[in-house]
Amino acid sequence: MTTTRPTAPRVVELRDSPARGTLRRAVALLEVDRRRFAFAVLLGTLALGCAVALAAVSAWLIARASQMPPVLTLSVATVGVRAFGVGRGVLRYVERLVSHDLALSGMSRLRTSLYERLASGQPGAVLAVRRGDLLARVGADVDDVGDLVVRGLLPAAVAATLGVATTAAMTMIWPPAGLALGACLVLAGVVAPWLADRGARTSERLGTRARADVTAEALALLDDAGPLTVAGRVPQRLAALREADARARAAVDAGAGPSALAAGLGQLATGLAVLAALVTGIPAVGDGRLAPVLLAVVVLTPLAAFEATSVLPQAAVQVHRSRAAAARILALLDAAGTAPDGTAPDGTASAETAPADTAQAAGTRATRLAARDLVVGWPGGPDLLSLDLDLRVGRLVAVVGPSGTGKTTLLLTLAGLLAPHAGDVDVDGSTSGGGTAPVPGRSTSLTAEDAHVFGTTLLENLRVARGDVTPDEASAALAAVGLGTWLADLPDGLATPLGPDGRTLSGGERRRLLLARALLTSTPFLLLDEPTEHLDGAGADDVLHVLRAQHDRGVLVVTHRLTGLEVADEVIRIADGRVAARGTHAHLLAHDDGYREAVQHELQDQR
Amino acid sequence: MRPLDPRLLRHARAARWYVALTVALGLVTAVLVVAQALLLAHALGRAVSDGVDLGAGAWDALAPLVGWLVLVVALRVLVTVVQERYAHRAAARAVAELRERVVAHATALGPRRLGDGRAPEVVALATRGLDDLEPYFVRYLPQLVLAATVTPATLLVVLGLEWVSAAILAAVLPLVPLFMWLVGVLTQGRSQRGLAAMQRLSAQVLDLVAGLSTLRALGRERGPGARVQALGDAHRRATMGTLRIAFLSGMVLELLATLSVALVAVGVGLRLVHGHLDLVTGLAVLVLAPEVLAPLRAVGAQFHASTDGVAAAEAAFALLEEPLPVAAAATGPAPDLSRTAVRLEHVTVRTARGATPDDLSVVLTPGRVTALAGPSGSGKSTAVEVLLGLLTPDEGRVVLGEDAVVVAADAPSTVDLADFRRQVSWLPQRPVLEPGTLAQVVGGDDEQRAAAAAVTGLDVVVDELPEGWATRVGRGGHGLSVGQAQRAALTRALVVAAPLVVLDEPTAHLDDASERGVLRTVAALRDAGRTVLLVAHRPALLACADDVVVLAGERVTP
Repeated sequence: MTTTRPTAPRVVELRDSPARGTLRRAVALLEVDRRRFAFAVLLGTLALGCAVALAAVSAWLIARASQMPPVLTLSVATVGVRAFGVGRGVLRYVERLVSHDLALSGMSRLRTSLYERLASGQPGAVLAVRRGDLLARVGADVDDVGDLVVRGLLPAAVAATLGVATTAAMTMIWPPAGLALGACLVLAGVVAPWLADRGARTSERLGTRARADVTAEALALLDDAGPLTVAGRVPQRLAALREADARARAAVDAGAGPSALAAGLGQLATGLAVLAALVTGIPAVGDGRLAPVLLAVVVLTPLAAFEATSVLPQAAVQVHRSRAAAARILALLDAAGTAPDGTAPDGTASAETAPADTAQAAGTRATRLAARDLVVGWPGGPDLLSLDLDLRVGRLVAVVGPSGTGKTTLLLTLAGLLAPHAGDVDVDGSTSGGGTAPVPGRSTSLTAEDAHVFGTTLLENLRVARGDVTPDEASAALAAVGLGTWLADLPDGLATPLGPDGRTLSGGERRRLLLARALLTSTPFLLLDEPTEHLDGAGADDVLHVLRAQHDRGVLVVTHRLTGLEVADEVIRIADGRVAARGTHAHLLAHDDGYREAVQHELQDQR
Repeated sequence: MRPLDPRLLRHARAARWYVALTVALGLVTAVLVVAQALLLAHALGRAVSDGVDLGAGAWDALAPLVGWLVLVVALRVLVTVVQERYAHRAAARAVAELRERVVAHATALGPRRLGDGRAPEVVALATRGLDDLEPYFVRYLPQLVLAATVTPATLLVVLGLEWVSAAILAAVLPLVPLFMWLVGVLTQGRSQRGLAAMQRLSAQVLDLVAGLSTLRALGRERGPGARVQALGDAHRRATMGTLRIAFLSGMVLELLATLSVALVAVGVGLRLVHGHLDLVTGLAVLVLAPEVLAPLRAVGAQFHASTDGVAAAEAAFALLEEPLPVAAAATGPAPDLSRTAVRLEHVTVRTARGATPDDLSVVLTPGRVTALAGPSGSGKSTAVEVLLGLLTPDEGRVVLGEDAVVVAADAPSTVDLADFRRQVSWLPQRPVLEPGTLAQVVGGDDEQRAAAAAVTGLDVVVDELPEGWATRVGRGGHGLSVGQAQRAALTRALVVAAPLVVLDEPTAHLDDASERGVLRTVAALRDAGRTVLLVAHRPALLACADDVVVLAGERVTP
């Protein structure tokens, strides 16, 4: 055994608040360019700064104009007002383009590293992603982490920069008003977002369960509409849906309080800043400490100064959402066994996988795949199945038995994708071992029962087996598995696109396509999980004959269909986690009661 | 798309009072905005022009104005809090109301009527889709109302104060929707193409991740990493192409808004210099000018956030307007099925795969066991759905006795379907169990349950469970194996004394011991004088039927 044993997948608990440093790690994964981020902050600050400056300068202009000075003294201000009026829109446009570009390239990098780390990580994590809901969540989570830049970090940085600049400028003009403005900006930019975040968390904490119940109730009603209608149970189920919705609503209500206070605080902060300037400024004008024109500036500028902070409550909620999404992505990466800070995976069966195209160059072709005292099981899970196996080139071996007995796990282990719990799997070893570990793509190709059909053309789907498959080879392989006429009927032949996850294919067509893909691989050993599923009797027999004809390969099939297995060189019946009987089909029919009963039962059903 | 769809008010009652509240608060806000601007202008204007002359008395002279301003600010805070507080509540209520209607209507339509594969779509609509209405209610609708209250109110006040500024603002006002519309029209095709490209690219990346285990199994997982990167870059370029144009509308809005305020400020300043205007009026106009356009800008900013929800609402209305399948005419009570035969007469249902069933006629005689047999896809389960009145056939009809129509191709039903179905116990292929304890799921009293369980073999299951009959069963029989759930459902069919029992493939997925339990159950049902319809293909099950109908048409009596 030359591969190291993978450690059990770490159990990742998603607590109410993800671990500290989650955001920092996630942002590191986005590899955001600091200089470009700073540029976006600068643009954003200048854009909103234009709005503040427009308010300040127009206040000065009007107050000064009322003193009827020569018109020329106002010309700079009039030009400035117009320039700020234009600058704001243009700068904001440029800022939005720069920041979105930044976020999108970050998301692209995050997706790539997610893919690459899953590709080299432990297979368990990958198998988990195969499920539809998780897959959709990965997509949404990447988007949410990416949104952190545009909707979370950037507005916060802009508000902070602009807030400091505005406060400083106002303090220079009239310190009491400037300091009051600073305090109000903290109220609107720190306290209000904190409240909004708390509100969002409250409704999330209280409502997660209720919302899941709402979905489950709606799904149950729509899935079982007929039976529930006939049983007269629809009103009760609708009542249950209403009840779950009421609980979800109560959670929203509980969170709406703090959110409403946050919105009110934003409004209050603006009003307070204006009032503070008036209250401190009017007496100061009276006793000559403040020029009247400047009073207009310090009173009216705050009306425009809170635009940057007004988006911060939503930014806080976004940060919270991004953090939760980041925690899930990091958990997935951790489960895959690759630390997101870039350290090497801690030992997986396929860590040293080479591309399949170089398989032939690796030396002489292997002739034997053997398992000795093999015990298979999921990493960290119980032992599922133990057996010995000797698969030689030119032979066809079938493993049969009820579902849930670890046959699929056995295939993953033989393929080299899972480490054994005990014993060895080796290629071209002697009886005492000493061969090399199986490497997917080089010595083995596994076709899982739920193997993926990619949303691309038929030819590209076959090229998944081997990058250099020619159209002629592809047609020949499709003909060999009985898809010749199907191919001829396709409008675009090999260039026909197959829908996402092969949804345009019937179960039987899909099964045959996967078989054609397996035949096109260049590996000496083919491992197939339920290759006859979704095929009728004749179709299933055809498939077995095609596999029988692979004289230069060793073929192992896992199946629950026993008829037709007379073509196999050896049939291994699994029961209770070990080999119950092995031999040819005829031998087992004659000597194994369990096998005989199962075959008879199957024949009866096919009547 | 209309900004406020009247159907929303019709279908969601919670939306009505919320709109009323929002309009009321919008009117109050308009008054407060004007009051704040005028008070501020007076206080500030007098302080700037007369402050130096008033000297130490400046504060005493202006304090009452500032006091009123404090009151106005406090009221605006209050209005904001109330609006926000009730927006969330109303949104949640309206969404819940719509959700219930959609689910109830879709349930009544039945999965077949909805079309194959539309069930997940409806679930997505009923859950996530309608939840997207929240930003519409909480953010978009209030701004829409403010655009209808604050904008005209402030514009009128500006007009009363100074007509030149009012003219500038009034000229810009129609430009806002015009430019929004223009940019929208110019970019629509392009951004829709961009959107489609984005979705395709994003789907391709997810497709690769989904196929990762397959790629690993073939040792081919290395290459696509570069492809994910390339797709990501293409995705970014496609998105940026769309955004460059989509953000244009935002820029036009901001330009119009800030530039018109700048023009007003400069104009007011020049008129002040020449003495055509007093400072208080000038300041009032300056403060009011941004308020005229602010709601419109907010509507534009929230528009995108609201579109998903509006689209979901439109889909929901479209669904709600689909007519229900079984047209109920004057319905009377159903005859007693323990004495009345149920007849399927020449029933044909056409699907993409042909007529299944094709001209099927069956009579279910009280007290007899009838089996429907035939290869899969021959329409056995469809025939059951027609029988139960869930599906209207394309030809033929189902009648009770001679002329009480359950469902017919060319006539309304004359039987109260609920009354008919009360006399039916149906076990679909996948048994439907509602959550509860095992005892609740099965029903009946202890004695009935024990007797029935002994027949079906559920007693063995109950004995092995640590909590016995009190074991909690989740939705869809979660916590039980398929065989155990099947036995629980059979036991319920025995306990519920419905005269007609329909069993669809009751032995599928079952081992021999469980199959024997099914056979005992069928025998027990017959002994109890109940009518049984079996959909079956295993010989053992067919053997216990009195009549076997092989689809289509061929009738044999064993």
